[in-house]
Amino acid sequence: MTVTESQVPPALAGATEVDSSILFPEGLVGCPTWTHFVLLTDEDQALPVAMLASLSEPGISLMVTDPQLVVPGYSVALSEADRQLLDLADDQDPVLYCALTTTATGEINANLLGPLVINARTRRGKQVVLSDSPYSARHPVGSVES
Amino acid sequence: MLILSRRPEQALRLGDEITVTVLGVEGDRVKLGIQAPRNVLVLRQELFQQVQSANSDAARGARPSTSTIAALLRSHNGATPV
Repeated sequence: MTVTESQVPPALAGATEVDSSILFPEGLVGCPTWTHFVLLTDEDQALPVAMLASLSEPGISLMVTDPQLVVPGYSVALSEADRQLLDLADDQDPVLYCALTTTATGEINANLLGPLVINARTRRGKQVVLSDSPYSARHPVGSVES
Repeated sequence: MLILSRRPEQALRLGDEITVTVLGVEGDRVKLGIQAPRNVLVLRQELFQQVQSANSDAARGARPSTSTIAALLRSHNGATPV
């Protein structure tokens, strides 16, 4: 699967880097080797869902969406250390994604406890864990025919 | 696993920069104070496991098509697509 700039959703388009991969320097939580990803969208650009495919671990990909579609008003308070890791400018807001899981019975859940926070300019990302939040790693979104 | 006994107000050093102090014991709860550099992630183990488990399931589980999920999200909360 080749990746072109046109496949990058608007939230991440316009990055200055030619390489469209996203680096998570620490990997994901509990998965430290999942460091390099590329964000793929369907041909239908209107879909609010994208695939975050790993370049460092073949076969690994996460279905992600905008957490505000799951819980309107969802936001993340980043620590200063996190902002530094992401190279966020003082007035810059990161892009937020949450990964979706599907149970064997077709229940779709969103990981709002561990959102993926990305600096769209530098394409650096981190999965933060919201220790003192009310959010769950498996927030119910709905169910589909299994 | 290294096993140590500590009394309230006694502490442990982990390397040069991390100190874990037993602040008190109340029934079955132990209150700990942790001093660590800001770049060291301090997390309740169960939260770590919940996120790790969700990552693993998200990456490896079977899943519906993106269009199916998109339709579900559109109906969820009556949200409009981005």
